[in-house]
Amino acid sequence: MLGLAETLATAAAIFGIFMSGCRHVRSAIYLYAVQTALVASIAFVYSASEHTGPALNISLAVVLAKAVGIPFFLGWVVKRLDVRTDSGAFLPVPLSMHVSIALFATSYYLASSLDGAAGTFSAAAGATASISLVFTGLLFMMTRRLAISQIIGFLTMENGIYLLGLHETRGMPVIVEMGVLLDVLAAVMIAGVIVFRIKKNFKHIDVTRLTGLNEQ
Amino acid sequence: MSTILLWLLTFSCLLFLPSLTIGIIRKTKARLQNRVGAPLWQHLFDTIKLLRKSETVSENSSWILRVNTVINISIMITLAFLTPWLSFKPATSADDLFLLIYLFAAIRFFAILSSLDPGSAFGAFGASREATLSVLVEPAIILALSAVALSAHTSNLSLVFALTANTPISQAPLWLLAGAGLFLSSLVELSRMPVDDPTTHLELTMVHEAMMLENSGPNLALLEFSSALRLVVLYGLSGQCFLHALHCIWPFASAAGILLSISIIFALAVVTSLIETVSVRLKWTRAPEFVAYGLTMSLLALLVALVTGVSS
Repeated sequence: MLGLAETLATAAAIFGIFMSGCRHVRSAIYLYAVQTALVASIAFVYSASEHTGPALNISLAVVLAKAVGIPFFLGWVVKRLDVRTDSGAFLPVPLSMHVSIALFATSYYLASSLDGAAGTFSAAAGATASISLVFTGLLFMMTRRLAISQIIGFLTMENGIYLLGLHETRGMPVIVEMGVLLDVLAAVMIAGVIVFRIKKNFKHIDVTRLTGLNEQ
Repeated sequence: MSTILLWLLTFSCLLFLPSLTIGIIRKTKARLQNRVGAPLWQHLFDTIKLLRKSETVSENSSWILRVNTVINISIMITLAFLTPWLSFKPATSADDLFLLIYLFAAIRFFAILSSLDPGSAFGAFGASREATLSVLVEPAIILALSAVALSAHTSNLSLVFALTANTPISQAPLWLLAGAGLFLSSLVELSRMPVDDPTTHLELTMVHEAMMLENSGPNLALLEFSSALRLVVLYGLSGQCFLHALHCIWPFASAAGILLSISIIFALAVVTSLIETVSVRLKWTRAPEFVAYGLTMSLLALLVALVTGVSS
């Protein structure tokens, strides 16, 4: 039997895999929001069970900022840039989904060799899901064309790292969580602005075609 | 309830559900497109009309074209009695997972042979596409069914799909994923919308219909009935997966199961007509992508089955 936190983590990883199979940028953003909300609820489960700090406030802040704020911002960017679909660059989109399932299985073997995660399956499940999220984000960044997809992939990787930290420490101190949240928000804002600049200078945001210098 | 009564109920479902489900799909589609649409039982009326008509058979065709119909309908009825597509269907002893899958493959094999038999170019075109699709979709169906079989530690589908009391709630994602995998692959298997348009009039884009072009009269009626029966059996099978997920969360009584397993087929029919209203037929080269999503669901179901199997 899996615990509640492990079940939620596995669900987040599965939604990450669904996200890697999306051609539409907008539905990828929605799936990212679901996945982030699941990760935030895990933060709530951990801190509620350990009675450390203002659990509800932190997870609410994470949900509001990362699962609502960032998708809204990215949706606005997508609307302004007028991009809809992102066909894969190196792998076809469905194939990249199958590769991330294989990576999910790989991360199970990686997770079972971690300290503290070895032994029962239940202990390894949270670590498996978080390593799988890191892999999925990495694969998403590697196999997509649009610069906006690079941001989504980066955010998914960040979710994975955050989840691994949560799982290994059973709830981080408030100040660390706040710091991570602020960093991510700043990174997304800056990346959004950079995408706008790329669109302005190159007339497209296809990273596979960003090979030559362009001076204005 | 006695077994004989349940068999009678199953038998009447087998006779009337196929036409009714096709009717529901067509009626919902018509209402969504602001049309009145044909009556709900139009498929049954068509079948009766076709049975009374005389038959035209191409002089180039051999006995295979005629024999195919008999083989098709008899295998399909056998399948309907073996497959646990209704929760109240009494268990049979020979319903092994792989037997069912290869009986489905046998139907397809004879359908392909019969469409090649009259030497019509359109039939051969449809046969080639059907063969390609079946190669793609078969792994997804096998994986989805073996995922649920793996968690039940048996390949006997009656035992796999038997509703047992107090199933752990952690089984729900497995059933949901397997059901989604089965539903997506049965859309391909039944030549429904994202892969093939069942209402198309252009022979070049047909898959399933192109294979039946040479059939007429009673032959066509039986083939139409057989494909409608295949639709309810496959929808029923994926519906049973969804019902199991529901049963993990909210254990319903077996009397409610009778109502639920019929209404879930209707619900899936309505979902099909919604898909067929909002989506367009995919380009043929994009069809493998759609199959890949079904395969993903099945792979994830298998992964969840392996994972929960390790832990218990």
